[in-house]
Amino acid sequence: MRNLLLYTFLGLAVAAGAYVSFELFGPKAPLPKYAQAGIGGDFKLTSVEGEINLSDYKGEIVLIYFGFMSCPDVCPTSMGVMGTAIRQLDDAQQQKVRGLFISVDPQRDTPAELHAYTQYFSDRIFGATGTKEQIDAIVKQYGAYYSFVEMEDSALGYTVDHSARIYLIDPNGQLADILAHDINPVELHEKLAAYL
Amino acid sequence: MKFLMPALLLSASLTQAADLKIEDAMARAVPPTAKMSAAFMTLTNNADTDLAVVSAESSVAKAVELHNNTMTDGKMKMRQVNQIDLPANQTTELKPGGQHVMLIGLNRALVEGETIDLKLNFSDGSSESMEIPIQQIKPMMQHKH
Repeated sequence: MRNLLLYTFLGLAVAAGAYVSFELFGPKAPLPKYAQAGIGGDFKLTSVEGEINLSDYKGEIVLIYFGFMSCPDVCPTSMGVMGTAIRQLDDAQQQKVRGLFISVDPQRDTPAELHAYTQYFSDRIFGATGTKEQIDAIVKQYGAYYSFVEMEDSALGYTVDHSARIYLIDPNGQLADILAHDINPVELHEKLAAYL
Repeated sequence: MKFLMPALLLSASLTQAADLKIEDAMARAVPPTAKMSAAFMTLTNNADTDLAVVSAESSVAKAVELHNNTMTDGKMKMRQVNQIDLPANQTTELKPGGQHVMLIGLNRALVEGETIDLKLNFSDGSSESMEIPIQQIKPMMQHKH
């Protein structure tokens, strides 16, 4: 009888210890596959409010888009989709989502103009840009693409070929998903809701 | 000469381009600081001869050009084109993500509900002047299948 009690106690102690050590040292929620592959990460840019870092927005979902304001078509379309998807969330949820339109054309797009441009689509979409070095570093980190193309006969002077994807950053600051440019607001809303 | 214009187009001037139908013409409403916008429409050439849009004009922009967008390997590229072909007995769509009339260097905000003037010049020497509405491009809400 005495031995039985002892063994029961020992058994419970071992189970409790195993549980505690699993909680402390066991596998955490795995990093998203992009983060595991080293894609994404923090960066520094300039917005209308000054210097910003991605890490400033921990706890929020950040939707990153690389574009430029002279882009008459795919950029405003993507911003419209983003704004519509965000508006489908309730007020509290909206405050946890931040669109970030990163202009790869700092020569033409100022932080103040970018702010007015993005706020037109949603008060939760913000603009930022940076030096060519900063932009090149982020584009490389995220596996994005842009290239300036001379247009001799056009009043534009030059245009920018660019990747048109939406990068979804989870509330831990990790790149969690890369979304096609033609995602519709319903699909984007579902993606957002999954993290809220 | 048969020139069918939707009621929204406030004026239509003389054109030699017979049997051309222009529908759903619109200019994209853009944020106040945007320097560019685009005009879209559907052009149906009901004639047996090819036609082309060779240039365009508007008082709201410093320059008006014909452009084409292509998406390849996830990269959006925009290029100026010399003309937009309107093949005989075919409908040609100028739409987001494709061919469009590019309005460069806007001198006023393009506010939804207002209109802009737009003149298209055609390869046969004719032209068409119109007032087209400024509209928001509404994103598609449907799921893709």
